[in-house]
Amino acid sequence: MSNEEPTTEARTSAPDRSSATTSVDAGEETSDRAAEPDRTIVEARNIDVWYDEDQALRDVSMEVPEKKVTAMIGPSGCGKSTFLRCINRMNDLVDAARVEGELLLGSKNVYDADVDPIALRRRVGIVFQKPNPFPKSIYDNVAYGLEIQDVEGGHDAIVERSLERAALWEEVEDRLEESGLELSGGQQQRLCIARAIATDPEVLLMDEPASALDPIATNQIEDLIEDLAEEYTVIIVTHNMQQAARISDKTAVFLTGGELVEFDDTRQVFESPQSQRVEDYITGKFG
Amino acid sequence: MSTDDLANELTRRTENAPQELLTRAFFFFCAVLSIVTTVAIIVLLTTEAAKFFSLTASLLGVEGQTVSLVDFFTGTTWQTSTGEYGVLPLVAGTLMVVIGSAIIALPLGVGTAIYLSEYASPRLRSKLKPALEILAGIPTVVYGFFALIYITPALGTVLPDIAFFNMASAAIVVGIMIIPMVASISEDAMSAVPDELREAGYGLGATKFDVSAGVVVPAAASGIFSSFILALSRAIGETMAVTIAAGSQARFLNPIDPTAYLEGAMPMTAAMIQLLTGDITGGGLAYRSLFAIGLTLFAITLLMNVISDLVAARYREEYE
Amino acid sequence: MPSRVISPAGSARHLASIAIVFLDVLPPLVWLGYVLALALPLAASVAIERVDRQLPFLARFGLLAALLVASLLFVPGVVTSMPTVPTGSIIVAVTLGGPIAAIVGRFAAGRLENRRTGLAVGGGSFLAVLGAAFLGSSVGLAALPATILTSVSLVPAAAYVLVVAIDRPGRRIGLLLPAVVFGGALLGAVVVDAMNFAGPNSWIDWGFLTGVHNSSSAAAAGFYPVIGGSIILMVIVAVLAFPLGVGTAVYLEEYAPDNRFTRIIDVNISNLAGVPSVVYGLLGLGLFITYLGESPGTALVGGATLGLLILPIVIISAREAIRSVPDSMRQASYGMGATRWQTVKNVVLPEAFPGILTGTILAIGRAIGETAPLVVVGLPSVIYSLPTDLSSSVGAMPMQIYAWASLYAGPGFYNSAVPAGVVVLLVVLLAMNSVAIALRNRYQREN
Repeated sequence: MSNEEPTTEARTSAPDRSSATTSVDAGEETSDRAAEPDRTIVEARNIDVWYDEDQALRDVSMEVPEKKVTAMIGPSGCGKSTFLRCINRMNDLVDAARVEGELLLGSKNVYDADVDPIALRRRVGIVFQKPNPFPKSIYDNVAYGLEIQDVEGGHDAIVERSLERAALWEEVEDRLEESGLELSGGQQQRLCIARAIATDPEVLLMDEPASALDPIATNQIEDLIEDLAEEYTVIIVTHNMQQAARISDKTAVFLTGGELVEFDDTRQVFESPQSQRVEDYITGKFG
Repeated sequence: MSTDDLANELTRRTENAPQELLTRAFFFFCAVLSIVTTVAIIVLLTTEAAKFFSLTASLLGVEGQTVSLVDFFTGTTWQTSTGEYGVLPLVAGTLMVVIGSAIIALPLGVGTAIYLSEYASPRLRSKLKPALEILAGIPTVVYGFFALIYITPALGTVLPDIAFFNMASAAIVVGIMIIPMVASISEDAMSAVPDELREAGYGLGATKFDVSAGVVVPAAASGIFSSFILALSRAIGETMAVTIAAGSQARFLNPIDPTAYLEGAMPMTAAMIQLLTGDITGGGLAYRSLFAIGLTLFAITLLMNVISDLVAARYREEYE
Repeated sequence: MPSRVISPAGSARHLASIAIVFLDVLPPLVWLGYVLALALPLAASVAIERVDRQLPFLARFGLLAALLVASLLFVPGVVTSMPTVPTGSIIVAVTLGGPIAAIVGRFAAGRLENRRTGLAVGGGSFLAVLGAAFLGSSVGLAALPATILTSVSLVPAAAYVLVVAIDRPGRRIGLLLPAVVFGGALLGAVVVDAMNFAGPNSWIDWGFLTGVHNSSSAAAAGFYPVIGGSIILMVIVAVLAFPLGVGTAVYLEEYAPDNRFTRIIDVNISNLAGVPSVVYGLLGLGLFITYLGESPGTALVGGATLGLLILPIVIISAREAIRSVPDSMRQASYGMGATRWQTVKNVVLPEAFPGILTGTILAIGRAIGETAPLVVVGLPSVIYSLPTDLSSSVGAMPMQIYAWASLYAGPGFYNSAVPAGVVVLLVVLLAMNSVAIALRNRYQREN
């Protein structure tokens, strides 16, 4: 194995999440961020995924930069969602799924035998295609991650901050005890984002987060994603190429058969793709 | 966060936390218990029944009275006081209940199902289905009493020869009892028939009746059939209603002779209740004969359930 | 829609009868003691919520539990030994009429969207109850029943009629039906009384519900020990079958890997549901009595046998309820890094609970209607008292009906005691089934 083995000596230093924002490019413009030298947070090395006999991903390798928006696009069935779900091992919940290869979060291969998928998911948040708030109050929805991780003390401050970051606080400030299902679709999705970031994850995965929403709600989510990238690494799957072009710093293009055909800066991918197939896809010749 | 801290955090196991282990163990234990129940039923029935038959009792080394397999399965007299344990009269009694109740319940049940699925408005159906469920929830002892007090006198006005305890009222009441079961399972099967099939029928100018009888019923046939088997299996296992209505005289009657239904007889289940309300002593031959009948009953109903499962699985495949 | 009007009126009537039976058993002073004993911790918990939301759950729980125990231990004693106490009817008027007046007032305020009318309705209700407490005896009713009747029956019904009449003029016609029914019943009673009609005798009377079996006279026979017995059996069945059934369902739906063992359990359970009940009786007989040496006919043996009988039904319905929880909820929970148990506890069970409850109530209804397995495990057909513990003999309603219809067969029992028993049993079962079905329909509509 080529990655640095997780050292046992490191146990002494307690994780300090607040000090993680020392990255130089935090808070700057999206386009500028792309130019800076990046630190890799997620690295895939030769990932193959099978569902029973069907291969969903073929030999995917890529490096996702920290505190950037990385978009994954491609026609349906190309494996982009499958790849997303490899990162927090949601695929483990599917009995038939089998993953080979290495997927590094920081320096640790999350498919190592000693990694607990539940601990992993606590560090990698996910937002799904269809808004799926729990049938609980807005407050309890956001506090869910804190509850299950037994975070001590009051959650009020974290709930408020998460809702603020998800640009939802002003709309729900006075109705935190109402059911999350009372909200509109776009509000529900922002609630789900607030829920995902309440535990301060390393990486935020988004699986077509705006595809079930109307154009206005979609705009709000897109603005939110750009803001979130100041503090989080966002990996977003989308079938909407314009959306990827608008909000992402890096773009990965998956094509049928589960291959990662191109992965580069977003501008590069959309303006001068290396591969003919990607160009055909982007210009709408197929897919 | 440094990468080492992260790696550390990722390897923090949660699945071995005490509450995870305890709850998982509890749920697993619950599931195992259902297996244990079945195993217990089978083991109990077979071991006690084995002590009843001479062939197997000697293998087990059990002392005491036994009955030979041949006597049990071919004997035509059931008289525990004289030690005659021929199961045929009881089987004949059970068969009469099955035949009689089938004549009542199958047409009425399927008719109800057709009405609910094809004719009734959704509003009416939403009222009638719970009513059926409530009908199915009435205790069997109540049905038995109903048979004794109402059905038998009513039959008596038409057929003066009828005995106070008779198979006809037992069979009728069991038939009434299993109508909801036939109706509700058949209705599920009919509702599962895709609308395109009906539309194809209507498109050819068929009437509602043509479509119901010519398209829906054949298409739902396996579901309807499985409802028959389940309901008749219920009729075989039905105990209190037949015990109250049919009496406790083990006569060997001919199930295909209509006049035989005017007499009382004793189906298998009624025989078990009769053995128990009589003075049986634990461990005696009569006590073991209970388990011999019970095993026969269990085997028959199990077989019927398995068949119905297989048939029902077929119709599920057809339309899902 | 008349049913909308009848149901509140009907349930008020139902409540009234329960309340009367209840207070017949419980002296008003003891009642006051317990009301205060429960009200104090409740008030404390509200106060804690107001003052400090941050208190850890365990501390809050411990504090309240301690308070509850202390209050239940001491307050009733203190209240009953007070030197001067109000009369029973005043106690009931305040403790029962007060909350009911408050609820009625809130209901009126909510429906009419007018706080002042609500206040007026609530105040009027309370005054009516107090009036009944003082004036009850002058209209020929004792003060206590008059108070109870007014507070649980008259006041809610009157307020409901008032609110519907004001709020929904279109629905006024619906109020006619209950009025005609109750008015007709009253009129009939008056006519029968005045003209000396010989009406049919009702066998379900107080004597039947509180008496015990009498082998020589059907008229003197009572149903009390078996009503109590059935309730005790119901509790044992629920305690055994509910956790085991739900546990199995949770295992099969949320934990079980898709392997041969799981499939065996799967097939097994559906076949267990089809095994005749009398065979479960044999299981109880062989397992609990012959092998474990329990004595026949005890509450524990009867309850455990019935529990085994309905276990597959509970499992199957609980599985259906769990399966109907949308997968997106589970995904959301697992995606947040919840463990299986956390997902089950926080997401799956709360969502599936109404469905599970419906299935369990239906199954328990089936259990208390069963006779054959109880005959097999030797429940006595005649019993004169309630069991004192789990290992004493217990009776059951269907057992008693069977005994009357077979052992004591004869016109006397056929025409009186058996039908009366059947009606009581059916009322209990139909009530349970209706609750279950209503619960399910409501739940389905919400989804």
